[in-house]
Amino acid sequence: MAPQQTNSKPSDDAKEQPAPLVYQRAMPMSRGKLAIWLFLSTEIMFFTALIGTYIVLRFGAPEGSWPTPAQVGVMEWLGAINTFVLICSSVTIVFAYESAKSDRIRAARGWLLVTTLLAFGFLGVKGIEYASKYSHGLYPQSPRSLLHDRSDVYYLSHFSLQLKQRIAELEDQKTPTDHHDPATLETLYLIQSGMLNWTENKVGVSNDPNMKRLALESFAHQIHPLADRPDIDKYLADERADLEEQQQTIAPQFSDLESKLEAAQKQISQLSDSIAKLESNRKSKPNVNGDFPPPTEIEQKNKAQLEDAEKTAKDATESISLLKQQMNPIERRLEAQSRFNQFEDGINEHFHLKLPMVIPNGNTWANTYFMLTGFHALHVVIGIFVFLILLPLELDRKRAKVMENVGLYWHFVDIVWIFLFPMIYLF
Amino acid sequence: MESTGNHNPKRQRTVFLTVFGFLVLLTGLSFWVANSWIMEDRMIGWAVMLGISACKAMLVIAFFMHLWWESSWKYALTIPALFMGSMLVLLLVPDIGMRTDHYPKTRERLSPQAVTVPEATGNVSSSQDRTKS
Repeated sequence: MAPQQTNSKPSDDAKEQPAPLVYQRAMPMSRGKLAIWLFLSTEIMFFTALIGTYIVLRFGAPEGSWPTPAQVGVMEWLGAINTFVLICSSVTIVFAYESAKSDRIRAARGWLLVTTLLAFGFLGVKGIEYASKYSHGLYPQSPRSLLHDRSDVYYLSHFSLQLKQRIAELEDQKTPTDHHDPATLETLYLIQSGMLNWTENKVGVSNDPNMKRLALESFAHQIHPLADRPDIDKYLADERADLEEQQQTIAPQFSDLESKLEAAQKQISQLSDSIAKLESNRKSKPNVNGDFPPPTEIEQKNKAQLEDAEKTAKDATESISLLKQQMNPIERRLEAQSRFNQFEDGINEHFHLKLPMVIPNGNTWANTYFMLTGFHALHVVIGIFVFLILLPLELDRKRAKVMENVGLYWHFVDIVWIFLFPMIYLF
Repeated sequence: MESTGNHNPKRQRTVFLTVFGFLVLLTGLSFWVANSWIMEDRMIGWAVMLGISACKAMLVIAFFMHLWWESSWKYALTIPALFMGSMLVLLLVPDIGMRTDHYPKTRERLSPQAVTVPEATGNVSSSQDRTKS
């Protein structure tokens, strides 16, 4: 729009010069502080949503369907140490600011250094925790983490896949390393035949849903127990008694068949000896035409007997291999039970296997744990960077404002941890 | 204008150390709550622990972050933000917070029954079954 001169105020524009532009402070504080507070208010939204979501998930999980700190190896005292460390660092950064404000540069630098060291201490403890989570397989993974909500067939198939992969890896390794000795491979074979295949079989064959559930739950329990389960102990004891009985009924059949086979083999060797003798006798006396005399009656009888004995031996061998097929899984199962039942901490933990395990809501727990503590730790890292930038500077009255803003940020990091500590370590 | 300018430094230091003492005390208190009879009803125990955390947060905000001595801009910058974050969370309550309120018992106990392991017929397992992938 073109400016139009109106008749009402002809002389105003000509008289008034544009006023010089002067910034008016809208708030009784420095722009830096306003900026940091605006930033903190977005941070409030961010962490309220994050922490609140965790609270909703946690409060909504029925009893027993969320891992307790003990079940996922979260140690209360480590969290308590970190809480104390952060509270201390909050005080030291306040002292650093107060010292800077009253121009005590050395004191300010000293307090800031202590704060930085405490922040490093916090990260160190966090690192120890993360390392322990990693070594136990308690972390999110793509395409699927090792943590399953329930012991079902999907769990079994994932377990089977992981176990096969692990066995293949170990078989490919020519020389055993510290972590994977030949005994580990034997253990994995035993888990495969004595536990996994056994359970798959049981689940496939049984029509009783309760039996299926118990078979699956006892499998998951032996891999990674969550609590004392007397029902599973009873189930396993009953199964053991049953299998031992089966073994005892099969054993006499087995020895019967073996003695039968032995007798048949003895007979075979005797008969073939005598047949060979008779034949050589017969063949040493050719008749006039150069032909051999026909086999005698005894020789023919022996041959028929030999055929019978061979048939008996074949039958016995077949029966023995059938029985062995029947016995083998039972023996492997009993071997697995007697070997693994003693480990109260579970097979996974005892052998450091990192195979899939059942922890109800474990995957959600792992996601939220790393999300919350990870974002918090990221803030700590950023804080440390800022401290390291400030440390070599002259922390005098002029820089007190910067110190105040950094302090505000650091206190916010402390507040977030104040909420995370009970939620993660004490709930 | 300056947040804590009017106070004398010695008094300030006492205030900060007192707050520090309270923070340590309250941390110990939430530790105690976590291992006490209050946890018999876990919801109450958690609520108490979150309340203690809120108290600790208020102490840090009021004294370490000097909001106790600031003018009323502090409300404009903190309360709406807190409100926004809380609303987002409250939206989750019906679908996520109450997700298991109406589960049938069978869903908690039993695995899906329709699915079976196809190759499991009779004696499949033996020590020779060492499968390579």
